[in-house]
Amino acid sequence: MTHRRRTLALLMAWGALLLGLVAPAAAEEPAPAATVVRVGTEGTYPPFTFHDPDTDELTGYDIDVIREVGKRAGWDLQFVEAQFDSIFPALDAGRIDVIANQISLNPEREAKYAFSTPYTFSQGVIVTAADTDDITTLEDLRGKTMAQSSTSNWAQVARDAGGDVRSVESLAQAAELLEQGRVDALVNDNIAVLDYLAASGSTDVKIAGVVEGEETQQALAFAKSDTALRDQADQALADMAKDGTLTEISESYFKADVSVKDGGGEADLSGRDSDKGSWQVVQDATGPMLKALVQYTITLSLLSMALGLVLALLVALARLSTRPWLHWPARAFISLIRGTPLLVQLFIVFYGLPQAGIKFESYPAAVLALSLNVAAYAAEIIRSSILSVPKGQSEAAATVGMGYALTMRRIVLPQAARTAVPPLSNTFISLVKDTSLASGILVADMFRVAQNYAGATTEYLPLYTLAALFYWIVCAVLSFGQSRLETRLERHTL
Amino acid sequence: MSTDESTDESTDESTTPLLEVTDLRKSFGDQEVLRDIDFTVEQGTVTVLLGPSGSGKTTVLRSLNALEVPDAGVVRIEDVEVDFGQARSRRDADRDLARLRRQSAMVFQAHHLFPHRTVLQNLTEGPIHAQGRPEAEVVPEARVLLEQVGLADREDAYPSQLSGGQQQRVGIARALALKPRLMLFDEPTSALDPELVGEVLGVMKDLAAEGWTMVVVTHEIRFAQQVADQVLFLDDGVIAERGPASQVIEDPREARTRQFLHRILDPL
Repeated sequence: MTHRRRTLALLMAWGALLLGLVAPAAAEEPAPAATVVRVGTEGTYPPFTFHDPDTDELTGYDIDVIREVGKRAGWDLQFVEAQFDSIFPALDAGRIDVIANQISLNPEREAKYAFSTPYTFSQGVIVTAADTDDITTLEDLRGKTMAQSSTSNWAQVARDAGGDVRSVESLAQAAELLEQGRVDALVNDNIAVLDYLAASGSTDVKIAGVVEGEETQQALAFAKSDTALRDQADQALADMAKDGTLTEISESYFKADVSVKDGGGEADLSGRDSDKGSWQVVQDATGPMLKALVQYTITLSLLSMALGLVLALLVALARLSTRPWLHWPARAFISLIRGTPLLVQLFIVFYGLPQAGIKFESYPAAVLALSLNVAAYAAEIIRSSILSVPKGQSEAAATVGMGYALTMRRIVLPQAARTAVPPLSNTFISLVKDTSLASGILVADMFRVAQNYAGATTEYLPLYTLAALFYWIVCAVLSFGQSRLETRLERHTL
Repeated sequence: MSTDESTDESTDESTTPLLEVTDLRKSFGDQEVLRDIDFTVEQGTVTVLLGPSGSGKTTVLRSLNALEVPDAGVVRIEDVEVDFGQARSRRDADRDLARLRRQSAMVFQAHHLFPHRTVLQNLTEGPIHAQGRPEAEVVPEARVLLEQVGLADREDAYPSQLSGGQQQRVGIARALALKPRLMLFDEPTSALDPELVGEVLGVMKDLAAEGWTMVVVTHEIRFAQQVADQVLFLDDGVIAERGPASQVIEDPREARTRQFLHRILDPL
């Protein structure tokens, strides 16, 4: 009994830690074989790269092309899904080897990356709301509000036309903003737009005009130095063009051959129109979302909270120390972490540190950044909880012969715990929700899966409501645990 | 019999005093709160520190277990001696203070029981976890002590479930459980309702009769009269008068001692 009470706090921390350790270990990718090629792609840009709503399998034109290229070149493919604006940084940081995501050629990119021969030829189009009739050409876009992925070439086209560009994460999101009247126009690839119109069945937006001179070519992008991989891809693409495989893949998606110049003019995507109802989509999405919830959202939360708490305790004690060499670094750490956005911290750890030679995979990077973030906030909570324990308690502990460590462990911290539990629970609940930011560093968390389904089906309201419901359930369970814990810690104060 | 003679007499009886305090000094900022504090306490005797609030008596008591660290002076309890004026590394200083602290145990005005531990655990916490003694030995001893202070039936209660007098008796038992050489009491009855004072003083009288060496800061004049072997009257940071209770309380020589006693005994 004595023993149990004494170690309650420690047990909880370690229990959470172990849970967290086991789950991501099981979630890790199998050990890579000989020529592993990591492919960066959005997974939310139908019909090029998206998840089949029926099977949740990654599929699409670009995916089929890279799979065929990989098969012919003898590559072992690993797909890394991320929102578009994270993909080039991932290639720069060496986290992926190639991008298969309708990457359009332009001079800036060609200067920086090695491109394969193009496998798509498409035409830029201007999309507006159905009842807009004053926008038909690039000139009409001056001063208009436009929704674009900020690092895509279409965003550059929009900016060059004088548009006021708002950043979004996918074409589907951009089109949704257009339908809602939040932006005036967007420019994108004609095939992608046709696909969107077919899949959503939307009559609220229309193709208002073509972008003159914006016939674009899309190709696989490699790191500049990676010409060996690029050459293998070129060889495979040439073979595929010669034996008709490329045409075959294209026709299966577009009923036209977009892999040759001017071939995409008659692209017909009406077959993509899914007559699935919202309810069916939600049912399809629930399983994969739950899996991602358990595999990433929950394990990330538990592991980061456990590590963060241990670190927070050390930081709090250092901050309370009278020794300047402990005190000041602790203050600086708290100030830096609390004074900068979590998203920036995630990006520094994941995209920044590799440039200093320190490289983490996405999951450990997310754990590291989230743990540090939790540590700074929890350190201040723990510090004030320690200060809330009357000084007489430490004095009494000293007079019964206890030193600093024993006094902290057996007398002060158990009493501080009662004060700390409610604010620490708040931190924990915030953390659960903050894990959704990890999708920015390529973690396929639950919200990311919801975005995949939303991208493919345009069922935003039901899917995001489902995601919100899942977060809420997790947080409600945590709140329940909090009140149980409080009752337990309160048992001696009647 | 003079003050000085009484101290000399007891020195003659036993070889060396248990507690010896030499030239203790302490300032808080510019304010000197203790100076020239010299006294000894013989094994098995009770010393009561009297004095108005702010006179420094609690600071003297807390210097004996280094809860306050004096600026200068020497405290020796049996064979452990600490010279506070000596410059030492922080590590050495911490070690010396810990050694001195182990010689005594303290009963606080506000008891400072550990609220998250049961009564029995409050007694065994120090012996088991700080002194490293076996539970099988400590627990039966603790039960004997609880019986001695009249709380044998409350060992599983938490401190918040006890009355003030009971809490303070647990505080005394917790101190005794450490088997200290010296028992320190810091105004142990000042925070109690008047009707609860008696039960605590009763326990303290029993301890004196058993031969515990005690240093007590208190305003309970009758307790001092009945139990104290030595009374030290502090005023303004110095020992203004010292001697047996019969002399210091019943026939004080110093005007300020008389004034203080008058205020205590006849406040109106």
